[in-house]
Amino acid sequence: MDGTDSTIGGPGPGDPDWEAWADAVLEGTDFDPELGKAMARDAVRVNEGDLARSTFYDRYHEVVQDEFGVDRRPADDLVEPSETGDDHDSTDAPLPHVPDTGATDEEPENRTRRTVLKTMAGTAAAAAALPGCLSADGPGSAFVGDSEDAIAASQTSEDPSDVQLGMVIDLERCHGALDCMEACKRENNTAVGVHWNYVFRYAEDGEGKADRYMPRPCQHCSRPTCTYVCPTEARHKRESDGIVLTDYDQCVGCRYCQVSCPYGVNFFGWGEPSDPDGFDYAREDKNGDRVAGNPPGGVMGKCTFCVQRQDSGDPNLEGTTACAEACPWNTISFGNLNDPEDDPQQHLKEKEGSHTFHLLESVGNDPSIIYVGFEPSINAESGESTATTFDELGFVDYRREVLDDRTPKRKVGNETETDSHD
Amino acid sequence: MTEPSTEEVLAPLRNTTWKFGVLMSVLVVYTGLFLYAWYLQLQHGLVVTGLGDWGPGGGIPWGLYIGTFVWWVGIAHGGIAISAAVRVFKVERFDAIARIAEVLTVIALMMAAANIVFDLGRPDRLFNTLEMLPSTLYHSPLAWDITVITLYLVLSVTYLILSLRSELHALRDRLPGYLQPLYSFVLLGYRPAEDEKVDRMLWWLAIAILGLVPLLSGGVVPWLFGLVGAQPGWFGAAAGPTMLMESLASAVAMVFIVTAVFRYVYDWTFIDEDVFMGLAKVLGFLSLAVMWFLLQEVLPGLYAAPTQSQEVTHALLDAPLYWVAVIGINVGMLYLFLGIIRPRFFNIPAAVVASVLITGGIWTKKVLFVVDGLLHPTFPPLTNLYPSGWYVPSLVEVTIAGGSLVIAALLFAIATKLIPMVEIDAQEVDE
Repeated sequence: MDGTDSTIGGPGPGDPDWEAWADAVLEGTDFDPELGKAMARDAVRVNEGDLARSTFYDRYHEVVQDEFGVDRRPADDLVEPSETGDDHDSTDAPLPHVPDTGATDEEPENRTRRTVLKTMAGTAAAAAALPGCLSADGPGSAFVGDSEDAIAASQTSEDPSDVQLGMVIDLERCHGALDCMEACKRENNTAVGVHWNYVFRYAEDGEGKADRYMPRPCQHCSRPTCTYVCPTEARHKRESDGIVLTDYDQCVGCRYCQVSCPYGVNFFGWGEPSDPDGFDYAREDKNGDRVAGNPPGGVMGKCTFCVQRQDSGDPNLEGTTACAEACPWNTISFGNLNDPEDDPQQHLKEKEGSHTFHLLESVGNDPSIIYVGFEPSINAESGESTATTFDELGFVDYRREVLDDRTPKRKVGNETETDSHD
Repeated sequence: MTEPSTEEVLAPLRNTTWKFGVLMSVLVVYTGLFLYAWYLQLQHGLVVTGLGDWGPGGGIPWGLYIGTFVWWVGIAHGGIAISAAVRVFKVERFDAIARIAEVLTVIALMMAAANIVFDLGRPDRLFNTLEMLPSTLYHSPLAWDITVITLYLVLSVTYLILSLRSELHALRDRLPGYLQPLYSFVLLGYRPAEDEKVDRMLWWLAIAILGLVPLLSGGVVPWLFGLVGAQPGWFGAAAGPTMLMESLASAVAMVFIVTAVFRYVYDWTFIDEDVFMGLAKVLGFLSLAVMWFLLQEVLPGLYAAPTQSQEVTHALLDAPLYWVAVIGINVGMLYLFLGIIRPRFFNIPAAVVASVLITGGIWTKKVLFVVDGLLHPTFPPLTNLYPSGWYVPSLVEVTIAGGSLVIAALLFAIATKLIPMVEIDAQEVDE
């Protein structure tokens, strides 16, 4: 906003003539001209993104009430559109849909119920509304509508309780070293062929060689289909920081989450873990649920944003993940997406001119991973990497091959031990 | 229909032939095999199946068990629907097969539930789903399934027990002594004056059951798949009606098969050809509806459909098993119509084969429906980068899923030794 299109038609606050103009306009009123000018300057800062609306609101709330007797500025204006939410058209939702992780819910952290309570927000029309929420029959058709505000609030409000942990993954920096995959396997002790953070190695049309890379951890969606379908609420989105987790003691192993996740991030415990004791951290998270590390047999597992680190109480581990830490190119920035000072937003600021995207934006799951660079085109083909190959690291790309042995696995080698990379 | 004599109906309860012994032995031997296969799966986990991780793992998380589950849910409809129709619409022609149909429903529902249990990674935690039901009911299609199937089972069992009471009371002296405790239990608190009221209750139960049919096979079961957007083959506006028709067709086919077996084994000629002809007509038209819906699926999937839908449709048409299913259904259907138009070509054994082709074809189609959707996921670019998956059920898996069929037969055989398999009006009990 350049300031000149202000509503009253005078010069904007950036203009040298503005001060005099503003004084002249405000003189004719009974109200405090200094307050008016200060608010006008700050309003411009809000528009330019230098000042949060909530701060703006709080800063003037009392004086405005003193001066005018009432503060008519709409409180729901506090919500800013998320970086990515703007392209959802909120006006012509074809189907009603269920408000998801609304920021208005006052429920205390209650692991098992939270998704439901938030999802339903007490509506009786839940069952009727849900089909719209789960189907993804067309680009953006399902997840548009009235909860944009709530979603945006959960993503951008600076209230520290509205933490959404997430990542910025910079494809312009990724060199395909696969250090992240390796670190993830070592940290979480996942079984052979299981890659919670999976790096796609692909070639674009006609290039032949797979020299493009895209790491793909769980997207920790704001509208996680997997939690909607789960018949036991073992799969849940943690209220305090938005991590999507599986309660290993609650999961019945029906794999509904796996077939409903468009990103293919789930890896099931088809047999008993090859190395049951190889996880070095506490299994329980701060809510007392067993959620961390590789899953036991018969239970679903996936990327946990290294929840064991987030809940460790160790300042050196909190706010880090194994994959982000391992990358020599600083490809992955992990942290609170809603905090402008935290790594993800700092990363985005640094790469301001670059294109960003959400993976499979059209399915409407509203992921918490923001990619810098370009999404693979529909012609992208996977191939043998021109950088580090899976073979070099002893990785199994295609878990089906491991499972096809069908021999109950006690110890089929540990991928992290065959490491030849460092 | 010729009236069955009480003696004829009670014969299976009183006498056990060596043939029955042979049948039981075969069933029990296979059940042992089944138990061993299930033991292997419980011990080692689902790794002993042909299933795998969807996505970069290149596998199919759901397969034979889920397909078989859907098929059994379908079978469950036919039975009770026929029985309810007898009661509500007074279709007296089917009187003689109402009880067989009811028992089939109860057994089929149990087998449907069993296949879900086979599919779970942690069947020991099955009750977690019930414990969480009050909240999952708001959002999980699987919770809806559990609810409606449980409701259906409760209604069917109640219906069966209520319809037995006056009859068991009248026949009690003529039934084997060692079963008396069971009958005392079923007849708990029985007073002859209740008959009229029970009749009214049965009528209302029948209405409720008929109402649940479209909600189950044409509702929550297709929704289990259709609401999950990640698999294009699972979504379709006609998915509900399609599945309902398939369910009803395979159910009527199954009723036909079971009834024919009873007539043959016990020489129950009072279930005359008219009954079978009636069933054949219903089955013929239901099969026609199945083919009509199949056309609805295939043509729009081939003609300028979105790429992913086309891929699924082509893959389906390329699968030899799909054609086995389609040709089977068609051959069965054509024979039934031939028999309807020219009754001299109609005979029960041939119609049983036709029924097997139809219900077997539908079973195959259901398994392919589950698998094909997962093999051809939507959403490029990501899915283009996955390895293309494949799925071949393992021997263990086939033994377990097939086991549900054998156990159903076993339960049926046991049922014939517990209750009269044809409803006898308590007023008309003859000596």
